[in-house]
Amino acid sequence: MRAAFSEALVTAAKANPNVLLLTGDHGYALFDAFRKECPEQYVNCGIAEQNMVGVAAGLAKAGFLPIVYGLSAFVPMRVLEQIKIDVCYESLKVIFIGDGAGVVYSHLGSSHQCVEDIAALRAIPNLAIYSPADRHELAYTMQTAMASSQAGYLRMGKADLGDVHSTMPDSDIQAILPILVRDNARTLILATGAMVSSALKLASQRRDVDVYSVPCIKPIAKDHIYELCKDRDNILSFEEHSIYGGLGSCISEIIAGNIICNFKIIGINDKFSKYCGDYHYLMDYHELSHQKLEALLNN
Amino acid sequence: MTQVFDAKNLRKTVLDMAFSGATVHIGCAFSIIEILAVLYRNHLRFHDDTPADPNRDYIVLSKGHGVMAQYACLHEKGWLSSEDIKNYFKNGTQLKGLADAHVPGVEVTSGSLGHGFSVGVGMAYGAQRRETNQMCYVIVGDGEINEGSIWEAALFASHFKLDNLIVVVDENGFQAMGSTEEVLKLGNIMEKFIAFGFESIQLDGHNESQINDAIHQLKSKKNGKPKAIIAKTVKGKGISFMENNNIWHYTRLSSETYAAAMAELEEK
Repeated sequence: MRAAFSEALVTAAKANPNVLLLTGDHGYALFDAFRKECPEQYVNCGIAEQNMVGVAAGLAKAGFLPIVYGLSAFVPMRVLEQIKIDVCYESLKVIFIGDGAGVVYSHLGSSHQCVEDIAALRAIPNLAIYSPADRHELAYTMQTAMASSQAGYLRMGKADLGDVHSTMPDSDIQAILPILVRDNARTLILATGAMVSSALKLASQRRDVDVYSVPCIKPIAKDHIYELCKDRDNILSFEEHSIYGGLGSCISEIIAGNIICNFKIIGINDKFSKYCGDYHYLMDYHELSHQKLEALLNN
Repeated sequence: MTQVFDAKNLRKTVLDMAFSGATVHIGCAFSIIEILAVLYRNHLRFHDDTPADPNRDYIVLSKGHGVMAQYACLHEKGWLSSEDIKNYFKNGTQLKGLADAHVPGVEVTSGSLGHGFSVGVGMAYGAQRRETNQMCYVIVGDGEINEGSIWEAALFASHFKLDNLIVVVDENGFQAMGSTEEVLKLGNIMEKFIAFGFESIQLDGHNESQINDAIHQLKSKKNGKPKAIIAKTVKGKGISFMENNNIWHYTRLSSETYAAAMAELEEK
């Protein structure tokens, strides 16, 4: 997915000289191609994220299209107010990339992990939120964000779990994308980001589970979700994000009062990562490993 | 209408707004009257006299709580009507108590301190990249420079050699809860900006001639350095009972204080 991101950045910058990539001194190897192909459009703002977002707003006012890159623990979390006031309140178009979302930086601890970004951003108007699951969704959401007239946040989580699509989706902006669909499956999993891969692995072993990916969290395809949910016995949402304020909350807002079913939000259960360990260790710690999810589904 | 940006008349407009709207931040507006008057009268370029001119000079009021002073200037520019001034703070009107970029002529929404400088730096950087000759002027408060983002922006401006940027520090010596000395010692502000790579001048922020000369001098220097003017000002300047009296950060005018303040201005 990171190679697809790098490629998408270069493509965007070559197509539009007003595109500027701003980074807060992050993205060492990731931007090698960009720095080689578009050196004049690369701006390292230093370790000063608040100023970086303000500068991006000023550049947007001056006619540029800034893409602001940071670790999701910092962009958007450290600069939430700048995103709200400097960019969104003034309806400016700036694209934010939050890398390493979820518990990707597992060994580094909670300062570098981010499971609250969707919750924090959802309540801010004039901002789209994207959460791609693989390199094809990454290309699709980048293309959508670039074509949109409003600001966007692209959440990049665990990037090396393989593809869930064979080609880039060509659906419209609010699409809910089918990953694995059976006839009359009574259980539906709506997943986003890296958890789409987990859902696919689980569902592959069962015959009664459909899996759909939600790469666009805001605006969300309310009608489509309602249609997918209305005749199910069980609905689960999967996300590497807090159970509060993320995809699960979006779905619950859509079905509450409209559909009677069993619905469970699967995500980070309101706790920090207490221990050091690799990604799989932490996913297990947060009850999101394949084994834990399998046990949950069996119950 | 001839645009003279007379400081006395601008203060009268501020008093009218503050009285009719029963609003605060009068002292904060009065300390920047002469700075804004000189900028609007002699320096800010708006081709066709419109705030939407894409090649305009930028004026960013980062200390957004001083916005009544800017509204008074925008009224004289003809971009705000007398009705706008008269109806300040009325329900359903456009002018808020803090700078808001949806108002014609207000560049940045800056009620939250420490934002406007960065956005202004971004605008200056954009102008530099496009090789236009636009200037960007940013007014920050001395209390505002408590904010860490101010110094992030200063580093950026210096590193990227933004010599089209002039930041004016309104050093009135007070912030919301007391003097800057009492709340969070700032030390020598000019030395700080020099240390951050700015070419800096300290002056009397109510002496229009000094302000004008400094801006002429600084904007003509294309030497790869951003510029800073440290303007020594008086909070509440122009009204004896408001000067250096920090309650006028918060106090609303009564009929009596409004009349007394107006009478003082008339006598000048």
